[in-house]
Amino acid sequence: MTAALTLDGLSKRYGDFHAVRDLSFQVEKGTICGFLGPNGAGKTSTIRMILGLQSASAGRIDILGANDGRKVRDRIGFLPEERGLYKKMTPVEAIAFFGSLKGLPTGEGRRRAREMLDAQGLGESKRKKMKELSKGMSQKVQLIAAVVHRPEFVILDEPFSGLDPVNQQGLESIIRDLAANGATVLFSTHVMQHAERLCDKVVLLARGQKAFEGTVTEARATSRRFLELEGAIAPAQAAALPGVTHVDTVSDMDGVRVLKAQLSPGGRGQDALKAAFLGGLDVRRFELREPSLHDAFIDLTGDNPDQDQSVSAAHAEIVR
Amino acid sequence: MKRILLIARREYGAYARTVGFWLSLLAFPMFAVLGGGIPLLIKSSEPVNEVVLIEEGPEATGLAAAVREALQADVDRRSAQTEEAAKAARAMVPAGTETGTEAAAASPMVNSAGASAVAALGRSRIRLVETPADMAAAAPGAEQDAVVNRYLGDEIPKSERLDAVVFLTRVEGRPAARVWTAGTTNSTVESFVKRSLRTANSRQVFEAAGIDPAIVAETERFEPEVTAFSPKSISGGELSFRDRAPAFIGLASGFILWSLIITGASILLNSVMEEKSNRILEVLLSSASATEILTGKVLGVALLTLTVMAAWGGIGAVSLISFAPDRAGDIGQVLLHGGILGYFAAYMVGGYLMYAVLFAAIGAFCETPRDAQTLMGPIMMILVVPILVMQMALQTPDAPVVKILSWIPFFTPFLMLGRMHANPPMIEIAGTMAGMFVTALFMVWVAGRAFRAGALSDIKLSWKSFAGAVKGGR
Repeated sequence: MTAALTLDGLSKRYGDFHAVRDLSFQVEKGTICGFLGPNGAGKTSTIRMILGLQSASAGRIDILGANDGRKVRDRIGFLPEERGLYKKMTPVEAIAFFGSLKGLPTGEGRRRAREMLDAQGLGESKRKKMKELSKGMSQKVQLIAAVVHRPEFVILDEPFSGLDPVNQQGLESIIRDLAANGATVLFSTHVMQHAERLCDKVVLLARGQKAFEGTVTEARATSRRFLELEGAIAPAQAAALPGVTHVDTVSDMDGVRVLKAQLSPGGRGQDALKAAFLGGLDVRRFELREPSLHDAFIDLTGDNPDQDQSVSAAHAEIVR
Repeated sequence: MKRILLIARREYGAYARTVGFWLSLLAFPMFAVLGGGIPLLIKSSEPVNEVVLIEEGPEATGLAAAVREALQADVDRRSAQTEEAAKAARAMVPAGTETGTEAAAASPMVNSAGASAVAALGRSRIRLVETPADMAAAAPGAEQDAVVNRYLGDEIPKSERLDAVVFLTRVEGRPAARVWTAGTTNSTVESFVKRSLRTANSRQVFEAAGIDPAIVAETERFEPEVTAFSPKSISGGELSFRDRAPAFIGLASGFILWSLIITGASILLNSVMEEKSNRILEVLLSSASATEILTGKVLGVALLTLTVMAAWGGIGAVSLISFAPDRAGDIGQVLLHGGILGYFAAYMVGGYLMYAVLFAAIGAFCETPRDAQTLMGPIMMILVVPILVMQMALQTPDAPVVKILSWIPFFTPFLMLGRMHANPPMIEIAGTMAGMFVTALFMVWVAGRAFRAGALSDIKLSWKSFAGAVKGGR
C-alpha cells in the first residue's frame, strides 16, 4: 500500500514552546486515520503544517507526492476546527465558491452542491442564507464545501465537535463514503468512540509527541483488562485482591462505590472474585471489562482525570 | 490568477449587492447638497425682528432718523446683491439654450423654491414699527421699562408682541443705545444698531469738520471695481474661473481621493475582520495563498471604490451640465487637458495600495472593531494631517511645509494633487511618485507577511505583535 501522507521528524516550535516534537507517521492511500490526542496536544499545529499554512521548524512532509501541502491544495479538502461560512451566502453559493477556488467550474460546483445537499437532507435549505441555518446544518454545509471538488486527501479537524448524536452518525457515514470512494481521510478528535468505529489506523499524540501509531485493536492491546466493582467496598480493599495493580474510584454515593480495578498482565478475574467472596466484601456488581480505545488513550497519554483518587496495589499492601 | 479574480468577484458582490452600499454611496453627494443648502435655508428662514425706536430726550434727536436711513441703505444693498445673484444664475443657464429651458421647464417647483429662497435672503431681518401709544405715554424710567417688558413678554397676544425696543441717547455727545430684546441670544438688532450708530457718529464727526454729509454718504457707498490679471492666465491677461478652476479641482480631487481611499481601506478592514471572526480565513487559506487572498480582496474593494467614484463623478457631471453648463465646460477642460485625471489615477493606485493592504493586515489580527482600535488610532491621526495641509496647499502650494510633507509617501497622493495647479517641478512629481510606489510595494510585502501570520493567530493585537508577525511571517 502506498502512503498518501508521510511525516518524518516533524517539529514546530513557538519560541521556547514545542507544540510538535519529532513527529513521524504515515497514512496509506484510501484509509481512514484518526489523529487523536487531548486538547493542546499539537493536532491543529500538525494539520496546519501538513496543509502548508504554517512552516515546520524541522522535519519533512510528503503529501500526495509533494513536499508542501500548498502545491497540492486543489487535491486536498479541509474542514477546520472552528467553522464558519459567509453568512449572507446561500449554501449552494458557498459550496460552489469554495469548490471554484479548488478549480471546480462554478456551474458544476452548483450542480454538485444541490445534489449533495439533497443527499444530506438539506434540500429544503438550499435557498436560505447561511445565517438562517442551524449549527448542525452549517457544519454539514461546510463539510460539503470541503469535499465538493472530490479531493484525494481529506483533513477534518475535530469534525464531530458541536454536533448532536444524529448528526454525528450522519457525519460518520459521510467519512466512510469518502474512503469507500478512494479518498484518504485524516481526522483529528479527542472523542475516542468515533475513532474506534471509523479508523483503519490511529495516531495518538500527547504533549506534541507521538504516543502510539497502529490499528484500534493494537491500541486497545496496550491497555490492560480491568474489573468494574460496585458495592460498599473501600478502594484499598479492592487493591488488595489478587491480580489487581491499580484502583480508581469512578463514583462514590454514601459509601457505595463504583471502582475500576486494573488487572496485571497475567491477572485473572475469577481469582479476584473468589477472593472478594472469601474476604466477605460487599460486592453488588462484578464485571470483567476489555479495554476500550478510551482506556488505551488514558493509559498512553497518562491523562487520567481521576488520578488523585486512585490507590495502587503497593499502597493497599501498606494498608493491609 | 483565477483564484484572485474569484475572491475579487465575491468581495465586490458581497457589498455591491447590498442596499446599504448604494445608500451610503448616494449619501456623500446628498450631504454635499445638504451641507451647502441647509445654511442657506436657515439664513433665508430667519424671522424678521419687529423693532421700536425711542429717542430719549432732546439730545437724542436725529438718531432715530439715522437708524432708519441705515436700515434703508441695508435694504438697498441686499436688493442689489439679490439682483446680482439672479443675474449670475441666469448667466449660468442661458435662457436660449436647450438645457437651460429644459431644466427650467422640468423643475418649476425647484425654480420657484430657489427664487423664494433668494428673495427671502434679500429681505432685511429688521422692520421698524410705530411706538405703541402706552409705551410712548409712559414716563421714562421704571414705568416705561415695565411697559417695554410687557411688550417683549409672553402675556400679550403674539400679533402685538415686539422683538426689540431700542432707546437711543447720547453719552458725552456721542450716539449710544439701550437695546431691549425678547430673547437673550438674538443679537441681530444689537449688531445692527451698533453699525448704524457708528455710521451716524462718523457723519457727525465729518459734519463738524465741515465735510458735506452727501459726500460722506457717496464715499461709503463706493464699491471699487478690481480686475485680476496674470501672465499665466489662459487669455494671457484677465483671470477667469477657468484659470482658478485647477486649484479648486486639485483640492477637491485631494479630498475625494482621501475619502475614497479611507472608504475602501475601511471596507477591507471590516471584510477581513468579519472573515477572521467567522473563521472563514482559515478555510480560504487552505484553498488559496495569503498573497492571492490579499490581492483578490484588495482588487475587489478597488473595483467597489471605482464604482463609488464613477457614481459620484456621474452625479457631479450631470448636476454641473444641468445647472452650470459653462462651468462644466471649464471643469471638463481642466480635467482633460491639465493632466489631473492621469495624476489622480496614479495617486489613487499608490495611495489605495499603501492604505488598503495595511488595513487588511490589521483586520487579519482583529475580530472586533475594538481590537482594531489599538492600531487604527495612530493611523487615523496621521491621516488627518493631509486634510489640514491641503487647504494650505491651495493658497501657498510652494510653502516649505507643504513641499516637505508632499515628500512623505503617506501624504503624497493627497498633497501633490492639492499642489498640482501650481505646476510643481517635474523632479518633485517624479520623485514623490517614485517614493509613493516604493512605499506601496514595501507595504504590500509587510502587509502580506502580517496578513498570513495574523489570519491564523489568536494573539492580542499590538504594535509589538504586529511587528513580530511581520518579522516571523508564516
